[in-house]
Amino acid sequence: MKLTQILGGASALALLASASLAQSVTLDVTAWKGNEAEPAGMEEIIAMFEEAHPDIAINFSYISRSDTDVVIPPRLQGGNPPDVMMLDMKLVEVWGDAGLLVDFGTDSEWFGRVPEGLAAAIAPDGPAYIMPLEVIGMGLFSNLDLLASVGIDAAPTSIDDLKAACGALSEAGINPILMAGGFPSAVFVIANGLEADTTPVADLGNGTAKFVDDEGFGATLDTLRDLAGANCFDPREMAGVDPWSTALNEFKAGNFAMMPHGAWNIANFSEDPDLNYVFGPVPSPSGTGVASDLFGIGWGIASGSEQQDAARTFVEYWAQPDVLQIMLNAESAYSPFDDGGSGTPELAAPYDAARAAGGVRTYPYSVGQWPASLDPEVWDSLTGFLLNMDQDNEDILIRWDENVEDNL
Amino acid sequence: MSPKMMRFLFMAPALVVLGVFFVYPILLTFYYSFTDFTGVGTPEFSGLKNYDRIVSRSRYPDALKITVLFTVIVVVLQITLGLFIATLLQRLPAVRNFARAALFTPAMMSFVIVGYVWQFIYSPYNGGLNALLTSAGLEGMTRGWLGDPNTALIAIAIAHVWMFTGYTTAIFLAGYANIPSDIEEAGRLDGASSWQRFRHLELPLLAPSITINVMLATIGTLKTFELPFIMTRGGPDGATRTLSLEIIENLFRSYKFGFASALAIVMLIIVVLVAFIQNKYLRGREDVT
Repeated sequence: MKLTQILGGASALALLASASLAQSVTLDVTAWKGNEAEPAGMEEIIAMFEEAHPDIAINFSYISRSDTDVVIPPRLQGGNPPDVMMLDMKLVEVWGDAGLLVDFGTDSEWFGRVPEGLAAAIAPDGPAYIMPLEVIGMGLFSNLDLLASVGIDAAPTSIDDLKAACGALSEAGINPILMAGGFPSAVFVIANGLEADTTPVADLGNGTAKFVDDEGFGATLDTLRDLAGANCFDPREMAGVDPWSTALNEFKAGNFAMMPHGAWNIANFSEDPDLNYVFGPVPSPSGTGVASDLFGIGWGIASGSEQQDAARTFVEYWAQPDVLQIMLNAESAYSPFDDGGSGTPELAAPYDAARAAGGVRTYPYSVGQWPASLDPEVWDSLTGFLLNMDQDNEDILIRWDENVEDNL
Repeated sequence: MSPKMMRFLFMAPALVVLGVFFVYPILLTFYYSFTDFTGVGTPEFSGLKNYDRIVSRSRYPDALKITVLFTVIVVVLQITLGLFIATLLQRLPAVRNFARAALFTPAMMSFVIVGYVWQFIYSPYNGGLNALLTSAGLEGMTRGWLGDPNTALIAIAIAHVWMFTGYTTAIFLAGYANIPSDIEEAGRLDGASSWQRFRHLELPLLAPSITINVMLATIGTLKTFELPFIMTRGGPDGATRTLSLEIIENLFRSYKFGFASALAIVMLIIVVLVAFIQNKYLRGREDVT
């Protein structure tokens, strides 16, 4: 009797074990979204996925973007990669070229739904190493209460309107615009330079054409000079403002009326119910403004992953419009797919309008058209420009060309 | 077992650690400096391209100049202040121990905390320093301390000195403890003033402490990147971009491991040279005294 019981128990255990082995695959997923500061709907979508696919469990790890550069490469090199990783085009370029990412192929269902411009950017040489998740806007935040106090009822979308707003605000003792050195000034300059469209964007980034010869970017630096002259900002003061902390705090505190920055700040600014603001396009000579879209993030699969089928299932789950919408709502972002929606709130209606009017310009770094190292060089050189606006435009633009040359 | 074999066996673990964690990384860095390695995949040989870029672009010699200037400012200020405070505390035994612990506290704080605290102090809007100047009627002196290339480097240097002066003071106090008390007594009996005793008795006998402090401060500051990274990211427009910061930026923002390795080799050569020259001069000075 005892032996029978033992044998019966052992058989039951063996059955259970084999059932669980057949049942579950655990995917190791890493991302720089999904923490408390930037939830991005990650937890909800992962729970939905696990419910829809009970045979696949997700082991999610939040790794900040800067830590991703340090933590993931050794794992990739060492043969112990995560199965699915959040990527941007910078990482796709380095890891894809090294053969460390799976090629999704351009015949996948979701690739056919990516607009042509973005499709060409994410698969420039054939292989598609990244499934895009979102496109996020970079434009002008405007404090409507401060504008209204000087009789302006809408955020400016043209340079002339911007100058007029600056004049009125400055006379009323209100700081007009946070054109901080680094990111905000780069958003403004690049958006306007791209709108001028005097040279193919990719040619500027691959050395075929030179920034120093491009009239559009030269004219934009002149515009920045004009704005300083129109009392929009004190350039030397702006050169010292940190765009990632001080600038955001100052705008949120209502100390400045306008600020070029990214839509990812909407969640932060909206925490203050008294801050009455809108998010619109970067003012430009065209009058409609420039909707500077940043292709931000996507999913990639490590070529060393042992769960590639399950990983593909996970990645493709996110391409469903109703699933992706959860992330877009959390991020105030736009779908990268033709049939996708938008997660932007009502206060971003001016930006949506600019997009609809054809004012979209994709941020070149995010689609690999310009080398990644040019980004900080542009920030530094524009800070230098703010410190001394008497210098020739050439002195600034030649630094950009040198950087491009160093990356060839 | 022969004594020679015994000595080797006792040294072997240390040699292995030295080899694995010191010699091997340097050799690997030297190898990568001749490649275009991106941190993943296989490095491809690129000859002297990386070194050629270092000398042909003004950015990198500029970073070296900024590094040297930063080091000189920090070392001079830190040693002077450390020596002054140690001399003062030597004459105030009642508060010496408490003061030593209090002064050492900033050195135990993380660079991130120190960087953010001083960033707030230097903030152009409602920062502590500008608020203090305004309340003292010196509003004309307020500025964006970290945003002005004329003040950014020295502002970071002050934060660095604040952090490590206690460390320097502690080493000087240890040096003071090694000075025989009868020498002090003899000086006092001969009628030497406090300054005379310091200048002619204490300072020469503190030579070993000066050597250690100067060397540690110089080597540590030449390699520093934390405070410039946190407080200004090398800005405004490269005014605080040290060579170490340049290495980190090339490594983890641009994925140019090969080029960053070349910069690291250049930095290694400079640090070794400076340490050698300093050691030769300061040790020689110790012998004279």
